[in-house]
Amino acid sequence: MSEGGSCSQTPSRAIPATRRVVLGDGVQLPPGDYSSTPGGTLFSTTPGGTRIIYDRKFLMECRNSPVTKTPPKDLPTIPGVTSPVSDEPPTETSQIHLHNSPEDKQAGGEESQFEMDI
Amino acid sequence: MMNTTESLKDDDSGDHDQNEENSTQKDGEKEKMERDKSQSSNKRKAVVPGPAEHPLQYNYTFWYSRRTPGRPTSSQSYEQNIKQIGTFASVEQFWRFYSHMVRPGDLTGHSDFHLFKEGIKPMWEDDANKNGGKWIIRLRKGLASRCWENLILAMLGEQFMVGEEICGAVVSVRFQEDIISIWNKTASDQATTARIRDTLRRVLNLPPNTIMEYKTHTDSIKAWEEFHGLVNSSGR
Repeated sequence: MSEGGSCSQTPSRAIPATRRVVLGDGVQLPPGDYSSTPGGTLFSTTPGGTRIIYDRKFLMECRNSPVTKTPPKDLPTIPGVTSPVSDEPPTETSQIHLHNSPEDKQAGGEESQFEMDI
Repeated sequence: MMNTTESLKDDDSGDHDQNEENSTQKDGEKEKMERDKSQSSNKRKAVVPGPAEHPLQYNYTFWYSRRTPGRPTSSQSYEQNIKQIGTFASVEQFWRFYSHMVRPGDLTGHSDFHLFKEGIKPMWEDDANKNGGKWIIRLRKGLASRCWENLILAMLGEQFMVGEEICGAVVSVRFQEDIISIWNKTASDQATTARIRDTLRRVLNLPPNTIMEYKTHTDSIKAWEEFHGLVNSSGR
């Protein structure tokens, strides 16, 4: 490495002597030392730095969270994509989703921006 | 990760449209998205994980596009045909979208789902994509839904381990076959593209003999221009 052209400007220096770092009880370790946490979430150090990593199994488990049962309040109505094609005519009142969310009333207003040409 | 200092709280009015153009935008990506008037109206405030939700490394945006038959294809009409479905910041928010969208195998016609990091448009021309490329996997009919799900779960869960390189993923429903692809920033970075390929093999559970092909966006643009007879014209 130090022989590479781009590095030739760096003056060579002795390898520093080992330094001893004493961690007292209760000292917080850097995030790179996190491993598995309850529920399966993994925080680990990767080439890009510390990243939030989830495996498929954990993600699938989150699918059962109650919050996922209601559609996002700003979900656009796109017949055949976010709403059934044949269920209702794709006009104003097509409130596609299950009507168990107070946000449902908004859906109609969003529609116009998402009209698709066939 | 998203900057969370802004007025993030959902003002629970739920009424975000039309008049939200003026809301303060904080990062460059947002502004960039806002420039595109036709897409801007549902893109007005920072999306953040809800309380007790599991944050993702990045925010992502779902897009949908469908080819308009009989219209001249051009970059512009591509941009007009592509619609934002929404942006999410947590695992739970992802499932809220995903569970209320049809699966790709049930889409009809010539259509695509795109899932890209927030701020990156699913277009070759986007700054994040212009030097990039994609792995393409062609699938026989019947496999798209499962493969797409595995692909995006791997992407959201940061399974690819290539730093910032991933831009997004696409599933394309076509007549004879379906295609899934994953886009990255730097087509010339072979260590990255190889790692993406190996991760795809691992997470997709592909039938043996599935062919994987890497294509740079530069080549895609060239092929597109040749196909449309634009090879000598500047711009399109």
